[in-house]
Amino acid sequence: MKQLIELNINGRIYEVPVDPRDLLVDVIRKKVGLTGTKKGCGQGDCGACTVLIDGKPVLSCITLAIACQGKKITTIEGLVAEDGSLHPIQQSFVDHGAVQCGFCTPGMILTTKALLDRNPRPSKEEIKRGIAGNICRCTGYKKIVEAIGAAAETMSAEGVK
Amino acid sequence: MFLNHFAYFAPKTPGEALDLASRLGNKAKILAGGTDLLIMMKEKMIKPEYLIDINDVQEFKGISYEPGKGAVIGAATKISEIEHSDLIREKYFALHKAAGELGSVQVRSMATIGGNSCHASPAAETPPPLVALGAKVVISSVSGDRELPLEEFILGNRVTALAEGELLTKFVLPEPAPGSVSRYAYIGLRDAMEIDAVNMAVNLTLEDDKRTVKDLRLVMGSVSPRPLVSVEVPGILVGREFNNELVEKAAVAASGEAKPISDIRASAEYRREVVAVLARRLLQEAFGAASTKEV
Repeated sequence: MKQLIELNINGRIYEVPVDPRDLLVDVIRKKVGLTGTKKGCGQGDCGACTVLIDGKPVLSCITLAIACQGKKITTIEGLVAEDGSLHPIQQSFVDHGAVQCGFCTPGMILTTKALLDRNPRPSKEEIKRGIAGNICRCTGYKKIVEAIGAAAETMSAEGVK
Repeated sequence: MFLNHFAYFAPKTPGEALDLASRLGNKAKILAGGTDLLIMMKEKMIKPEYLIDINDVQEFKGISYEPGKGAVIGAATKISEIEHSDLIREKYFALHKAAGELGSVQVRSMATIGGNSCHASPAAETPPPLVALGAKVVISSVSGDRELPLEEFILGNRVTALAEGELLTKFVLPEPAPGSVSRYAYIGLRDAMEIDAVNMAVNLTLEDDKRTVKDLRLVMGSVSPRPLVSVEVPGILVGREFNNELVEKAAVAASGEAKPISDIRASAEYRREVVAVLARRLLQEAFGAASTKEV
């Protein structure tokens, strides 16, 4: 039984028909058409589906879309500035070679955003702990951790959020 | 992976939630964090006809504290809120530690303390520290509330004392005894996003001489179908002066009390061994902290 709901994604209101059983990741990708959010394991283990809800990182593959009304959802597309320039975290990932196949990257970057929002100057241990819910099969994490550390410095210096 | 079709409710008040639970009974499942529920539904282990989403009921959330009385934690409080609470870190350290070890940062911002106990996995992180800290649960229904010690609420593997139509609504933690210290540790295959092979919490109070054990609770998880409260360890240490010989005796005793199974995560023998290691480590850690703590 479909009902029309409003989802606030990256500051824009989308009116979408959903069935209660529709998962947020599927609604974002297929109904709204934002395919930056990836589906990995489908069971909340890999973190590829990570989006921010009211600033907090959540696993969209085990979240019901219907439960997200009235909340602010941020997907990876929401980090890019109006003029198309990359967010400092994204730029840092690019600059530091932290992207190989790119599949884990959207989830990894959003988790990073949440980490730096809470802790603008994380230690290496805190970074590792902060991204422990995001699996990467390609990079071995070293460049990712470096990229995050560098992004933290850049963002602190520029007062960026 | 598709979920089954179900009807979705999002009550806004406790009354609405309890009414729905009463009317729908076992045809409904409660959606709090969903981090266990949705996975079970995806694997077709359960196919509830109704989901009652309790995340909009403000009264089921939050941490409150009254000096001398203790803390009350709403069952729908997110694990991340507990992890980052200064109050929980200062007064109920073992719970703070366990909350921080649960899942990953994403899971912690979704999962709830109530869900962790209601799902009643023997390997759950928060029940052993809660039991060690003397937590009671408040179970609510349209007929009213009842209270139970948490160790009497979790009955076994995925089994709780919740009757049809009932909801777990609060955790009540007593004011910690002056000078008491609690600690938590676990062993697992990985550092995050894993299921504990063994976990353990200790709650220790010393006498004014800072050497004699006044009170001690040691609770083990993942080595029995439900949190295992040690009887022998307090028997060995309470009323005695803390020393390494007694710690050794206690570690061996704890290991003997454990009832581990062999499964994909560890063998029973390994778990038994690790129980002794964690008991030794936690007792020493707790004593070190308690003997230097200002009351």
